[in-house]
Amino acid sequence: MELAMTVGLAVFQIAIVMGVVLLSVAYMTYAERKVLSFMQDRLGPMEVGPYGLLQPIADGLKLFFKEDIIPSSANKLIFAIAPIICLVPALIGFAVMPYNETYAAFGGEAGVISDLNVGLLYILAFASVGTYGVILAGWSSNSKYAMLGGLRCGAQIISYELALGLSIVGVLLLSGSLSLREITMAQDGGFWHWNILLQPVAFVTYVISAVAETNRLPFDMPEAESELVAGFFTEYTGMRFAFFFLAEYANMILVCCLASVLFLGGYEAPMEFLNFIPGFIWLAIKTWALLFFFIWIRGTFPRVRFDQLMKFGWKVLIPITLANILFTALGVYIYNN
Amino acid sequence: MGLMRDIFMTELMGGMKLVFLQMFKPSCTLQYPHVKHNVPDGYRGLMSLLRYEDGSERCVGCSLCEAACPSNCIKVVSDEVPGQPLVRYAKEYYLDITRCVFCGFCTEACPVDALAMTKVYEASVYDRRELMFDKHKLYELGEAHLADGKAYLLAHNMDDGTLNPTEGLGDNRYEFPPVDLGEGVPVPTTVGLTREALEAEVAKS
Ligand code: SF4
Ligand code: SF4
Repeated sequence: MELAMTVGLAVFQIAIVMGVVLLSVAYMTYAERKVLSFMQDRLGPMEVGPYGLLQPIADGLKLFFKEDIIPSSANKLIFAIAPIICLVPALIGFAVMPYNETYAAFGGEAGVISDLNVGLLYILAFASVGTYGVILAGWSSNSKYAMLGGLRCGAQIISYELALGLSIVGVLLLSGSLSLREITMAQDGGFWHWNILLQPVAFVTYVISAVAETNRLPFDMPEAESELVAGFFTEYTGMRFAFFFLAEYANMILVCCLASVLFLGGYEAPMEFLNFIPGFIWLAIKTWALLFFFIWIRGTFPRVRFDQLMKFGWKVLIPITLANILFTALGVYIYNN
Repeated sequence: MGLMRDIFMTELMGGMKLVFLQMFKPSCTLQYPHVKHNVPDGYRGLMSLLRYEDGSERCVGCSLCEAACPSNCIKVVSDEVPGQPLVRYAKEYYLDITRCVFCGFCTEACPVDALAMTKVYEASVYDRRELMFDKHKLYELGEAHLADGKAYLLAHNMDDGTLNPTEGLGDNRYEFPPVDLGEGVPVPTTVGLTREALEAEVAKS
């Protein structure tokens, strides 16, 4: 009985979190199209439902009913597995994300599916597994564009994951924990306790590497339309294509969620008197603000060249993050003594 | 100074600010099937044949349009009006609009201003045979779009607005007065909710 309750509760939590994440993914595509349109003096989707609000659902249905084509010279098994390898790590990261202080409604302790003590490492590790999906998709398609896209993705993610990980180290030094919940709790009590004020450089480098990490413009080398048709998923159609699409947007939401937790206080309200608003709403607001930023830079900047991308990653971002770690460590040492 | 600019990414921030402000400017999209452009009078749409005020056919079957047509899409079968020797008319008149290049030469060639172009530009049909216009269809179009046809002839200086071909009027037929078309005009549609939303949008911008 006890076991059944635990399992049932876990499944229920997972269902809710997955539902919210997938719905956010769907409406992220809508928001992206709308915001980009407004930035370009257009209207964006307007036909399906009022102001085109049902467009993501129509798109999903369309993708679902599309013909599934596997190229005859593709490696069928890997071709079929790659989208799943890509999608699962993107979704699995949400398991350690703290959404709320508690969920009193269900008698639970912490507002997180699983409060891993190495939650941050877990997310970083799975983010790297997602790269395998991309590279395998590129390789198994047996197409030069897909191959180049996959290879670029591999090179890019390895370089930027370094910068991403190193920019997080500063936060770790400050809060002394790898559990996302404890990192959030360390930022309790108003926005002046948020890590962004102590780690502004780390925040900037984190956001830049997160954009590169999720293959978004201006760093969307793996799928650069004008060069590689559609990059690693050139040969994919229907639901398999939708999986990559979901993975890209879920990854975006994940890194934005992580940025809110690490730098912007997660579910904590910016001021004490705003505490009556539930924590998960604060988390959603912060995440969507960052997502808006992602769309914003997509609307502003042209794609960088691949060598510029690599140069920027290795010669600018990584030295900056290393210097940041050095200064943070010194600061923490002096403060503690 | 340059270093400071690099560190704070001044140029990039300027670009981002510009894009952000652009978001609040009204959009210039015209919601096409719901809202249509105002079409200028000189617009070259589907071809039509016109009648006189008393209802008689203007076309005298001279085949000049057939001769003028660069893409050979007009075929006129001319005949005498029964009982009226020397008075001719087009017994049959075929116009293959799929081959028409909408140059308007036929309307210029016509000595009696029988041909005029309408503002109909949505010509797609499911059956190509519907685009082989015969005399009946052309007169039908002319009746339905008489005002547009007259406006066309006036705009191209082929007519003084009374549908009386006048000598010398055609001399400056390629000089168009500038027209201010303004905003598009909303057209009725069946999608109730969307339309209201749209009209609100149009009214806003
Ligand atoms: S518009 Fe030009 S192509 Fe078309 S029927 Fe007239 S003369 Fe021929
Ligand atoms: S339309 Fe005009 S040019 Fe053509 S046959 Fe009739 S009268 Fe002649």
